[in-house]
Amino acid sequence: MNKWQGWRKIRYESDLDPQFVNEIASIPGGEKLYSCIQCGTCSGMCPISPYMDYTPRQIIAMIRAGFKGEVLSSYTTWLCASCYSCTVECPKDIKLTDIMYAAKRLAIREKVYPKRFPTPVLASEFFKAVENYGRSTESWLLVNLFMKTNPFKIFKQMGLGLRLFSQGRLSPKRESIKRRGELKSILKVLEKEHMVKSKDELVSTGKEIA
Amino acid sequence: MSTVNIPSPNGQPKIGVYVCHCGINIAGRVDVKETVAFAKTLPNVTVATEYKFMCSDPGQEMIQKDLRDGKIDRVVVASCSPLMHEPTFRRAMIAADANPFLFQMANIREHVSWVTLDKNAATEKAKALIAAAVKRIVLHRPLEKTRVPVTSDVLVVGGGIAGIHAALTLAEAGRKVYLVEKEPTIGGHMAKFDKTFPTLDCSACILTPKMSAVRAHPNIILWTYSEVAEVEGFVGNFKVKVKRKPRYIKEDLCVGCYECVEACVFKKGITKDEFNVGLSKRRPIYIPFPQATPLVAVIDPETCVQIKRNKCKKPCVDACERDAIDFDQKVEIKEIDVGAIILATGFKTFDASRISRYGYGKYPNIYTSLEVERMVNAAGPTGGEVHLQNGEKPKTVGIVHCVGSRDSKTNAYCSRVCCMYSLKLAHLIKERTEAEVYNFYIDMRTPGKGYEEFYEKLLKENVHFIRGRVAEISDWATIPEEEGKLVIRAEDTLIGAVRRIPVDMVVLSVGMEPHENVDEVRRLFNVSCSHEGWFLERHPKLAPVSTFTDGVFLAGACQGPKDIPDSVAQAGAAAAEALALIDRGYVELEPNTAYLQEEFCSGCKTCLGLCPYGAISFNDEKNISSVNGALCKGCGTCVAACPSGALQQNLFTDEQILHEIEGVISYV
Repeated sequence: MNKWQGWRKIRYESDLDPQFVNEIASIPGGEKLYSCIQCGTCSGMCPISPYMDYTPRQIIAMIRAGFKGEVLSSYTTWLCASCYSCTVECPKDIKLTDIMYAAKRLAIREKVYPKRFPTPVLASEFFKAVENYGRSTESWLLVNLFMKTNPFKIFKQMGLGLRLFSQGRLSPKRESIKRRGELKSILKVLEKEHMVKSKDELVSTGKEIA
Repeated sequence: MSTVNIPSPNGQPKIGVYVCHCGINIAGRVDVKETVAFAKTLPNVTVATEYKFMCSDPGQEMIQKDLRDGKIDRVVVASCSPLMHEPTFRRAMIAADANPFLFQMANIREHVSWVTLDKNAATEKAKALIAAAVKRIVLHRPLEKTRVPVTSDVLVVGGGIAGIHAALTLAEAGRKVYLVEKEPTIGGHMAKFDKTFPTLDCSACILTPKMSAVRAHPNIILWTYSEVAEVEGFVGNFKVKVKRKPRYIKEDLCVGCYECVEACVFKKGITKDEFNVGLSKRRPIYIPFPQATPLVAVIDPETCVQIKRNKCKKPCVDACERDAIDFDQKVEIKEIDVGAIILATGFKTFDASRISRYGYGKYPNIYTSLEVERMVNAAGPTGGEVHLQNGEKPKTVGIVHCVGSRDSKTNAYCSRVCCMYSLKLAHLIKERTEAEVYNFYIDMRTPGKGYEEFYEKLLKENVHFIRGRVAEISDWATIPEEEGKLVIRAEDTLIGAVRRIPVDMVVLSVGMEPHENVDEVRRLFNVSCSHEGWFLERHPKLAPVSTFTDGVFLAGACQGPKDIPDSVAQAGAAAAEALALIDRGYVELEPNTAYLQEEFCSGCKTCLGLCPYGAISFNDEKNISSVNGALCKGCGTCVAACPSGALQQNLFTDEQILHEIEGVISYV
């Protein structure tokens, strides 16, 4: 017996964001998005589409229709392995992988990505480690990843971890660079630049920063 | 009724039997060698042989050689259907100076090898059919095709773009053309459009030069406001009566100055303007549109006070300086002789009120595509402005595809043009109003030169495309944002969600339908219709403009939904076919016609009403029927019905058919 799925929701136009498509299309080459003929080549090519909650074709359709919430909180963009199969085969030359990244960036900025899903957590933890120490330490990265997604999984992987540890493949010592303060100030400048740039970008599409 | 054998022209008949392998089409099932051996045993057979492909040149040469050598004088070919290769073998016989009607085909492919699994059974059946053909051909007589001269004038029925193009093509070739149009002006639907897809060139700008060329051409006689009343005769020799309705204006005097229209006692329009599909009103005296051809006013007898009640001050008569108004005009019947007829009667648009859930006629601001065509037209009732009934510009517009198409409840077929014109209207509406435009489609069908590119252009213009047939249009608001709007409800099948989209204006992209009076027209010209009501072409691929009635050709949307380029192409093809018929100067009639054995006819008149081609008339002096061989199509209806057996049909006489049956039975 199938499980009762609950009521299907009718989509009201007033809940949608008609500017969403312009936001995504403002990335370089993004204007090709408007040419999508919904042929499904991207979903067919995609090796991971069976695991996605929305197929890449649906993501494009939803971007065009303004389903901002669904697109940004979907797992699809995070599952994308960036293999570029879709982009290579698209009959309308849509840079689908780039669009996936654009959606991911927007999801992080608007803090609507799936919070305990490993991919975004791994990305942010990796970035944090590099930001603070200039290097990533695998053992710490793993522990942080497990803690922020599913702490119980750490027991499942413990055997492998201990074996790696005993072989000297995994060290609990935090790796770090010298003169971390200089790196911090470089990153600060970069981030400032980026924010200004993205502010312009957002203003041009008529969207305020949340 | 005698069953005496009619002797061969030179004594004992000499029959040649040729069995074809058709590669393995026949030989794969039928034992050809055994069949040939059997044929040799049949009476009067002097030659029996086989060949891989009888229809090939060497195959035909075999027959011709035997005929020339005097070995045979009658030919039986056991191969495919006569529909396929009877003309081929008859031509081969003519080339060998033999009469082509001393020929019979036994169909052992479609009737035997393709439909029989068992090899023995197939061989036996092939033998039986050959025996029947041999038995029958003994009775064949040499027949001659008759030649009838052809009148060189052509009648074109319908003055839309197809009729106009066909008439101009024929007139340019030096033929005299009668162009008959039931409306007061030619131009048809195309004259109502603003732009044409996918090039977006102005419809009037490309049509009106052709319209005035029709008007000015010395070889075209243009009869508008007229209808064909009667068609008699046959290919090459049609006698047609055309009813010219009174327009109460002398066509030769009127110059289309509009003085009479301005002078009419009605200062405003009082009745629905047909040309603007009801979006505006017109007066009883009117000129349909400024480029009407001929540019002659017309008085509508339904609304004119003078004609209806005979008491009007008649200011129109005073206003006309050329005394062109004539309230005494009567229906005029013109009789013409033509060699060929081109039907270009076009189509009508689907009546959107038939689909009640789309709310056409119930809610304001729901328009059909043809109404919107008039609206976006600069010469239309709104001067090219797209606005709602309250005069405001719409901010959101929904275009609903497939209204009255691809629906078993209305029309099952695809109307072919709606996707493209919907895209065009979406572009024009967006251009004029900057509204958000939503297209609701089932499939986007854009097959044509530059059509897919046009679709991509619209995609890039950020017109919304929602794949899903609209379920319902209503003014029922379920959230405050929908108040005062028309709500379109449809499943977005690409996203997998049911969506409600509030819009200010809805365009229903109505499909194409045959005219209501198509049955009348079909009987008038003796052409067939498909079950939808489109005129039926002789062959969907290889004779797309011919009909089953020789000399009657089809052009444009009366044969099926078509866009302008296709209509024009077909009109050109129909004109070429008509020219091919006329320029030969004669028509050859098949001799498989009915003939009357006068001494047996009792004058019962049974046959008279049965003949679908009007080929039988009654000779009152002799009190017997008489068959016009030129009209007879050889359908055999009268022959079967004749109670005294007086009517017989060439190639299908009672003796021949009985012999054929005997041949099958005696073998079995």
